Amino acid sequence: MKNYAIEVKNLRKEFEKKEKVPFWKKKNNKKEVFVAVDNISFNVEKGEIFGFLGPNGAGKTTTIKMISTLLMPTSGNIKVNGIDVVEKPTEVLKNLGTVLAGERSTYWKLTGRENLEYFAAMNGIRGKEAEEKINYLLNRFNLEKRADETVEKYSTGMKQRVALAKALIADPKILILDEPTSGLDPQSARNLRELILEIKEEGRTILLTTHYMEEADELSDRIAIIDHGKIIAMDTPENLKNNLEDTNAILLELNNWNEDILNEIKSIPKIKNVNSKYSEDTRKWKVKVHMENGNNGVNDLIAGISSTHTKIMNFKVEEATLEDVFINLTGKSLRE
Amino acid sequence: MLNGAFAVFKREMKIMLRYPSWFIPMLIWPVIFPLGYLFTAKALSGTGNTSLAQFQNFAGTTDYTTYMLIGTTIWMWINSMLWTFGSSLRVEQVRGTLESNWLCPIPKVSLLIGYSLFQILISFVFIVVSVLEFKIFFNFEFIGNPLLAFLIIIVSIPAVYGLGFVFASLVMWAKEANSMVFMVRGIMTIFCGITYPLEVLPNWMRNISEFIPMTHSINALRRVISSGAVLVDIKREIYILIISGAILMTLGMIAFNYTQNKVKETGTLGHY
Repeated sequence: MKNYAIEVKNLRKEFEKKEKVPFWKKKNNKKEVFVAVDNISFNVEKGEIFGFLGPNGAGKTTTIKMISTLLMPTSGNIKVNGIDVVEKPTEVLKNLGTVLAGERSTYWKLTGRENLEYFAAMNGIRGKEAEEKINYLLNRFNLEKRADETVEKYSTGMKQRVALAKALIADPKILILDEPTSGLDPQSARNLRELILEIKEEGRTILLTTHYMEEADELSDRIAIIDHGKIIAMDTPENLKNNLEDTNAILLELNNWNEDILNEIKSIPKIKNVNSKYSEDTRKWKVKVHMENGNNGVNDLIAGISSTHTKIMNFKVEEATLEDVFINLTGKSLRE
Repeated sequence: MLNGAFAVFKREMKIMLRYPSWFIPMLIWPVIFPLGYLFTAKALSGTGNTSLAQFQNFAGTTDYTTYMLIGTTIWMWINSMLWTFGSSLRVEQVRGTLESNWLCPIPKVSLLIGYSLFQILISFVFIVVSVLEFKIFFNFEFIGNPLLAFLIIIVSIPAVYGLGFVFASLVMWAKEANSMVFMVRGIMTIFCGITYPLEVLPNWMRNISEFIPMTHSINALRRVISSGAVLVDIKREIYILIISGAILMTLGMIAFNYTQNKVKETGTLGHY
């Protein structure tokens, strides 16, 4: 039997919906539930980066909170390095390093070094061992020059690096990163992604959640796409994209957009999905169309749009991305 | 567990020492707070202290200043405990660090134990500062044994922090401290005889007072400091404080474990 880093089986989480109605106005005592995670199963292999990709509210954070013992599953099983998270949460935490909610997870009134000293002590690491590990991590994450300044003076990227160093202080074999680059500027995000790849090279397993498709594509060995609490696809990024081989992703720039144009496009037989967004920068409508490969499809599309007296300002056939995979599976964009 | 608690203690000390302005209210508050009660008492006792005999009849002393200072000091201790220790988990929740602590492989109660160690130290500093200031500004005199007064404070700690454990757990759950602080403080002000002898209360209120440990802390401290009582004289209060401390600590642990399970179920641990 294969020994996985993380095993998730039939995991489900329900939350009780809270009515904002005074108790005397409640008509019945029936409790409504919201299913945040709906019977999902997946395994994370040792040494891989497993990406959890999905829009906000899809159930990514709820899932990783259950894996990291912060949340009790309604049903199902989770094992981390073979240890059950419900039965032995403290043992599970000894195997995990977790970064949740990024920059808010450290003490801003303490210095970077003091934060690491504190979390080292909370992980049972003290004395010379703690000092060596802290110096190594400060140096590795390029924090040593400002290690004795309070974290409140750090940039968002530095705060995130302190949070990552904190998660690695006990040298865990498995790392869970919740939206690690969220809120970072492009350069800091790129630096952090490089760090994540370096950490993987050390032989650690990484489970990361993101709603940035480029990030999931760049970092992940395998990806699970999650929407409305369900895993709707799971494979390597290449295989997920290869499944769209028979589909063209066409990006159009139009000077106008309305219901008539949408209906005209949708009436073309080979069209699968249409997504539109107004760009403030160019003051034009960006429309993404997925259509099956085949003769005359593109000609029909151009003819259809032109018949509505709409100008096509730009036209591009693109390589399939994970965004296209998501749109193809759900009919909506990741950013919606 | 103790390693985690000690780490929390050290962390709080570092944060506090970085922002030393906390010491200013600690200097001012012990002098300012009792003044309102003391002037009221002075007005009611009349220019020739004609009412003092009546007061002595109930309180066993004519020194109403010392009598009130003891009550208000214990009140200030509980008040400070409720606002700081009682809100400690809530503060972590608001600043976004509670989940980070929950992710550490330690018993979670270590967090509260660490906080309570820190708060006990601060409380001792507060009590020492208060006594020194009372000596300077109010001519506060110790008739009894100061070590016995210290012992009463020590045996009061489990009851005070047991209440704090219950309070901190409820605040983490309810996400709001103000209304509960006002309620607990109000009950204590009325029922524990902060500024008056319990003998003036109706019988049913006095019966309730008996069940509040702080009533016995204040009573024992007054008897030792103002009347020179010895250990044998206050053994009833000592026993009550030890037993109520054990009960409140147990209740505190139950409340904490219950809240811990509840927030894990509802996913509200990190909510603020």
